[in-house]
Amino acid sequence: MHLRTCVIVPLLALVTALPARAAEELNLFGWSEYVPQTVLDGFTKATGIKVNFETYSSNEELLSKLVAGAGNYDVIQPSDYAAEVMIRQKLLAPIEPAKLPHLKNLDADMLRRPHDPEGRFTVPYMSGTVGIVVNTEKVKTPVKAYRDVFAPRFKDRLVVLNDSRELVTWALYTQGAPINTINAAALAKARPVIADWVKLVKVFDSDSPKTALLNGDVDVGIVWSGEAAILWNTDKKFAYTIPAEGAHQFIDVLAIPASAKHKDAAHKLIDYILQPEVSKLISDAFPYTNPNREARKLLSAEALANPASYPPPGAKLETFRDIGRAAADIDRLVTDLKSAR
Amino acid sequence: MDALPATGAGAASPTAADARRAGWRAWLLLTPVVGWLVLFVVVPTAVLFVYSLCERDELGRVVFTFSLESYGRVFDTVYVRIFARSIGYAAFTTVACLIIGFPVAYVIGRATEAWRQRLLLLVMVPFWTSFLIRTYAWITILKQEGLLNGLLQLVSLSAQPFDLLYTPFAVSIGLIYAYLPFMILPIYGSVEKIDGSVIEAAHDLGAGPWRVFSAVILPLSMPGIAAGTLLVFVPAIAMFAITDLLGGARVPLIGNVIQNQFLQARDWPFGAALGMVFMALFVVTYWLLLRFGREEEVA
Amino acid sequence: MSAAVELRAVTKRFGDFVAVDNVSLEIKAGEFLTLLGPSGCGKTTLLRLIAGFELPTQGTVWVGGEDVTDRPPYRRPVNQVFQSYALFPHLTVAENVGFGLRMQGVPATEAAGRVRQALDLVALTDMDARRPHQLSGGQRQRVALARAVVCQPRVLLLDEPLSALDARLRQSMQLELKRLQRQLGITFVFVTHDQEEALTMSDRIAIVNRGRIEQLGSAHEIYHRPATAFAAEFIGAANLLSARLVRRDAGSVRIQVAGGLELTLPSASWPGAMEEALISIRPEKVHVGRAPIPGANGFTARIEEEIFKGATDHLRLATAAGTRLQAVVANESALGEIFHVGEEICCGLHADDVIVLAAR
Repeated sequence: MHLRTCVIVPLLALVTALPARAAEELNLFGWSEYVPQTVLDGFTKATGIKVNFETYSSNEELLSKLVAGAGNYDVIQPSDYAAEVMIRQKLLAPIEPAKLPHLKNLDADMLRRPHDPEGRFTVPYMSGTVGIVVNTEKVKTPVKAYRDVFAPRFKDRLVVLNDSRELVTWALYTQGAPINTINAAALAKARPVIADWVKLVKVFDSDSPKTALLNGDVDVGIVWSGEAAILWNTDKKFAYTIPAEGAHQFIDVLAIPASAKHKDAAHKLIDYILQPEVSKLISDAFPYTNPNREARKLLSAEALANPASYPPPGAKLETFRDIGRAAADIDRLVTDLKSAR
Repeated sequence: MDALPATGAGAASPTAADARRAGWRAWLLLTPVVGWLVLFVVVPTAVLFVYSLCERDELGRVVFTFSLESYGRVFDTVYVRIFARSIGYAAFTTVACLIIGFPVAYVIGRATEAWRQRLLLLVMVPFWTSFLIRTYAWITILKQEGLLNGLLQLVSLSAQPFDLLYTPFAVSIGLIYAYLPFMILPIYGSVEKIDGSVIEAAHDLGAGPWRVFSAVILPLSMPGIAAGTLLVFVPAIAMFAITDLLGGARVPLIGNVIQNQFLQARDWPFGAALGMVFMALFVVTYWLLLRFGREEEVA
Repeated sequence: MSAAVELRAVTKRFGDFVAVDNVSLEIKAGEFLTLLGPSGCGKTTLLRLIAGFELPTQGTVWVGGEDVTDRPPYRRPVNQVFQSYALFPHLTVAENVGFGLRMQGVPATEAAGRVRQALDLVALTDMDARRPHQLSGGQRQRVALARAVVCQPRVLLLDEPLSALDARLRQSMQLELKRLQRQLGITFVFVTHDQEEALTMSDRIAIVNRGRIEQLGSAHEIYHRPATAFAAEFIGAANLLSARLVRRDAGSVRIQVAGGLELTLPSASWPGAMEEALISIRPEKVHVGRAPIPGANGFTARIEEEIFKGATDHLRLATAAGTRLQAVVANESALGEIFHVGEEICCGLHADDVIVLAAR
């Protein structure tokens, strides 16, 4: 099955370049390791629409390719803050709720968030958090906050995301500062904190932070909740905690670029994904937080009990807002501190 | 040794007219190559150069307003330090590969025909697997619950596992492993061409093994050493996958920084400026090696 | 005076192949000795055993009265000129010539003087700054020579050094080598497969065949008194014929050569009990003319083929009985006799010119 699609999809991509095509098609541009192939196959089977799937590995990559290759994509999968800047830049087409009968399945809590206050442009796909994962076999004392993680006793026993904005966010949380106000003063204040932290970290890894934990090379990490959920599924010794100071929550959404050529098909794919049975398949493969209430009802008790996928309520969670040009300032700060080692 | 510019070779004036006549045909044959170079080297470089002189918008995209600001930032101490460190890593890799690779290349180059083929095959076998997969294999070997630690614990029973992965040791292994063949193969090419009787002549004239090496073999291997140095040093400066995967990405290298400008920091002009400076470094390295290599390029 | 080089019962095997088979050889100080033989005969291996590039399987190698069998090449007082010259491509002519002195730690100023002398010796004074690839073949050859002699070795080994040169250059180099050898007084051991080279330069020639020395002697000795059929054929041309004893007379023997020609030889030249033997007759010793030749053995023969070569006329003769012989006649004057194919002519052979070889 997989092998066949691996061959067919690129072939189709070639064929789409030809003008005369009878069958309907759709170009999906999504995260790598985030959309199960079975879902796309099921969609094609159900609707007859062929899906050409292309992937990216950061929101910035999505932004640049979307701008450069306008009209090539029908459905995209930005994170909240990237969707926000796209809306502001008028890069997204409005969603037509009439074409999405399954929209009602979504958890209202996930809708109309700051990145899309009226919910006109985006449909939540999956959501997650960035939190602390601890190997409880090695670490017996509780680790509940960023300050507990970045303690001298964990020197060279830490893995954290290799992401400048995340590091700055955690530092701002420990200082009680707003995480979406990035300016010279805030960065100056965060600087000494981060400078101390980077000296303690053994591994910076955004792509697969679970590897270092699984291999036993580190004991504590700050990682994507999906990674933590997989760790917990592998071995219950990996405990996940939302940091006490507050945590970054991300909502990855489905959206249709303003330049999309197959908007009807795009709506069909989004609605297909909103179906509880389909959404469950995504949760099975990638155990992030599913915003689909009806799909959650189909999940196993064990999946629902995964503290990384479904953290206990009451934690302080915030989404990122777009910070525009300040991204470069963050990058320079963290690059500077890391290279000072 | 004083270098002698190739005076004899340069004086080929009588056939200059013939060469010119043959020229257009040669160019015709070269059209695909030239086209390829223009399309995939010249044009992208020109685009990069233009970008590096522009400003950016909030998405990091290029706004066509002339500015030298990006180049100014390249020489910020942060980035100069990173350039220096990247060059340091590359230099270490080059020297280590040279020290390890030379004896290997020499043995292969002087082996009998049948053995030469077999040994060369061994050098090239790693290329059958993708570079990333080979690097992941090293993670499996070096991790705390990995092969090497398991082996060490078997030998000396109760010992604590060694911290191997995410250390300078792991990075060194990864770097040398990845680039060694690129040093061995060109040196092999040079060594294999050395006339055995030249080595005998040196022996005959009173040179012991060490003097034969330093006065004959080493100088005659210089073209290979120069090519190997180029093939290792240049890509090693840009390398960051190994330091990320085996070193834990704790120290940013210039490759990380450039990538970040496009994929995180949203600063294309700065990324382009770093790229241009980087390329200038390559050109300088190449030019130096070419000059150095020409002195040895004889016979 | 002890021998410059001595091989004592030296055998060299490469696997199953015996390259040098129990060879003993004494080379006198100051002589020009040539190892002559076809390719693969072991002559180069002999040279390499002396130089030290090969170790003997059995036997010992002596240079200047010292056993050097176990010494590496760089500790032997011999130097070699290689067939391919083996110049250092990365060094200038002067640096090439000075290499051996540098290795010996000769002070730079002294070395420079000796290099200059050596280059003067081979007439390359102005080429000192060139690189080998900027030189002609003959010039490279002379650099190789200068490089080897500048170290003042006891023995100079030369491995087919002229084979890569064109014929004219080769001839002048032969004379130059001989002159150099006399001038320097160094013992030369010269390897070649070219008999003309050997005859031109050598004091003595060792004929090497199948890992053995077949004959060692001066050019005259080998030419006029070859010890074996191989030696007879390898140097100069020879009519090699089998012969059998017909009868023994007082002081002479009568033999019959293959084909039927009968000859009378002094009995001393035919070893006692032998019934059959191989004989060698140099073509120029077959005298021909329209009148009978005065001398012991006269016969007539028909000219089957005639090749005019300028200085000489080469004839293929057949006696009435059917013995075939090559003859070479010097064309002494333009009005000399002209021979025609099919003609019957008179031939004569002096008994002294018939060499009886040991049976093959």
